[in-house]
Amino acid sequence: MPFIRLKCDELIPEREKHTYVTEKEKSIIPLCNISTVPGDMTERGCAFAGARGVVGGPITDAIQIVHSPIGCAYYTWATRRHMSDQYAWSLPGRLDNVAFNRRYCVVTDMEEKDVVFGGSRKLLKSALESIRLFPEAPGVIMYTTCTSGLIGDDIGSVAKQIEKETGKLVFFAEAPGCSGVSQSKGHHVANRQFFGQINEIRRKQPELILPEEERTPYDIVLVGEYNMDWDLKVILPLMERIGVRVLTTFTGNARMMELVRLPDTKLNVVHCQRSATYIADMVKEGYDIPYVKASFFGIQQTNKALRTITHHFGLDELAEQVIAEETARIQSALDWYRERLSGKTVAIYVGGPRVWHWIKLLEELGMKVVAGACTFAHEDDYEKINSRAPDGMLVIDNPNEFEIEELLETCKPDIFLCGLKEKFLGRKMGIPTLNSHSYEKGPYAGYVGFINFARDIYQALGAPVWSLINGKGE
Amino acid sequence: MTRKIAIYGKGGIGKSTTTQNTAAAMAHFYDKKIMIHGCDPKADSTRLILGGMMQVTVMDTLREEGEEAVTLEKVRLMGFNGIQCVESGGPEPGVGCAGRGVITAINLMEENEAYGSELDFVFFDVLGDVVCGGFAMPVREGKAKEIYIVASGEMMALYAANNICRGMVKYAEQSGVRLGGIICNSRRVDGERELIEEFCAKLGTQMIMFVPRDNIVQKAEFNRKTVTEFAPDCEQASVYKELGRRIIENINFVVPTPMTMDEMEGLVLEYGLLDVGEAS
Repeated sequence: MPFIRLKCDELIPEREKHTYVTEKEKSIIPLCNISTVPGDMTERGCAFAGARGVVGGPITDAIQIVHSPIGCAYYTWATRRHMSDQYAWSLPGRLDNVAFNRRYCVVTDMEEKDVVFGGSRKLLKSALESIRLFPEAPGVIMYTTCTSGLIGDDIGSVAKQIEKETGKLVFFAEAPGCSGVSQSKGHHVANRQFFGQINEIRRKQPELILPEEERTPYDIVLVGEYNMDWDLKVILPLMERIGVRVLTTFTGNARMMELVRLPDTKLNVVHCQRSATYIADMVKEGYDIPYVKASFFGIQQTNKALRTITHHFGLDELAEQVIAEETARIQSALDWYRERLSGKTVAIYVGGPRVWHWIKLLEELGMKVVAGACTFAHEDDYEKINSRAPDGMLVIDNPNEFEIEELLETCKPDIFLCGLKEKFLGRKMGIPTLNSHSYEKGPYAGYVGFINFARDIYQALGAPVWSLINGKGE
Repeated sequence: MTRKIAIYGKGGIGKSTTTQNTAAAMAHFYDKKIMIHGCDPKADSTRLILGGMMQVTVMDTLREEGEEAVTLEKVRLMGFNGIQCVESGGPEPGVGCAGRGVITAINLMEENEAYGSELDFVFFDVLGDVVCGGFAMPVREGKAKEIYIVASGEMMALYAANNICRGMVKYAEQSGVRLGGIICNSRRVDGERELIEEFCAKLGTQMIMFVPRDNIVQKAEFNRKTVTEFAPDCEQASVYKELGRRIIENINFVVPTPMTMDEMEGLVLEYGLLDVGEAS
């Protein structure tokens, strides 16, 4: 089936090229990753949000500094229910520990005078001050926004100055909001710049490189794994059991020092393939280290991921063993949920990759995905969606609120997997929702996570409130 | 009514010198009440009027003492013949945003009602090329209604002048700004007067004054004075007096018709080849 024009898009016909219905073998790729059309009340974020929130944010122990007016730092701390883990040696009496991510955000609060005279000095001062306040932090990560980006504040030289004066590690990402069409640009910039800075640190401080004797032939890095609601708690034990060692993640719950050692891996395993394939490509290019793509959602995909990883190392047997044990372990729970969820329909609206990550998973629960929408997906994401999607699934690129409403009205899903903003729309329309960005009660990855996911879907569908709507309760 | 005038032109062409000498002549010979607002981060648009004194700039005050501290008593000085002087100030080269500084300074001056109706003329002396929106501030929203461009017979000066006109056209409709003429600050280039007159005709404007090159200007500058103050009876002082009179009596205000690149090249070729022909 070709592109379709939603009723609500009568006045913005350009949106037609972003909206289509899947068709076996013949699915099309919509226009995507291009400028927002005037009149389209997009829900996109900005490039800065992509760099700060997605890629840099999960790094645990860095002081995160946003170089901007105060407003850009709105909602940059405590944005997730789950926090990073603690260091064993976190000091008694100190407010918690050094896992700064989610807890704190430093902002330079640029004002008119900083714009006119340049804000570099203020940035340096803020960085040095925050390092004094949190001496245990190994380094800082700095971000520019539209304001500091436009006046060309030289954040790179500030980084050098901080390194010189304090010896701390410094990363920075220059992804002003205006530098791209969506947050996706910020992912790319942060990948590219962090990788460059990691190389620079390794060149200047070769002692930080992982010594040969501490390496194993089975070292991997989980790239694009952001530890949503502690997904790592299920993924890491699985990795251990298939015989590989996870050096670090890019960037879920990662330490800055570990990230410096990211290129010391033997293999990169890319989970979020939208926001982090960039760095896997660069590591491959620069260090000749291969990468594999993997999805840790649902049984089939997790099985496939474990097999792909172990196959690379010649550990195939271990994978089979783990797969057998884990599938047996969750079988009865899965059967229970499957029986109750079978035949239900789902609409998914997320940033991008999770639409295709979850189609198979939901099928394993006997559910059918009738609609999917992505905020910032690219062509390759839609290729993946098309290869997994059932026939007749409505797909919208970068949807606005009216389109989502129409999607829910026409596709009538039993449940809407969406973000924090859209859940209210769904609920007002009497459709149960599930927080698909930071989860309800995760983790959702791996085998055990799959059951959590199923449980949350079941709970959302079965919430007593739905029996009261539309006069049903009378 | 106060006439607000913006002076533009290529960097180093003599905008500040011309502005101050003309303003001094207008105040001295015609008893006009004048203010000069320097919009160059270097803050050197008023030194001849103030006798070399570097004044406290608006942006420095804002930076060091905050917005409330920016008062007329603090940032405005009276110079030669009661000419009021304000400097926007701004960042060192290579940092920050000087354009934003111009916007901020002009807004602050308006809040402080610095451009009061008791003034006959306000001159905005603006940094060389209009590199960003900030430097167009004086002609936006009808702040300055008249523009004079300082140019010479050198090609780069004409390119810059033509470019400024292109920017002006954009603002002409919305803010009513008009070009009052080109001031030729002579560099003693061959055929300079003819070239500028031809250039002005193409733009649809006038050469309001041909200011000959005279060492007395530099001499006065060394003494931190305008020509009018330094040697009011000299020939050059009468030139600025005449320029002042022409500006006061000017009725020739136009929306310029900037030349295309091809036309510019044609003009350059015509006068450039003339030069080569004479040499050979």
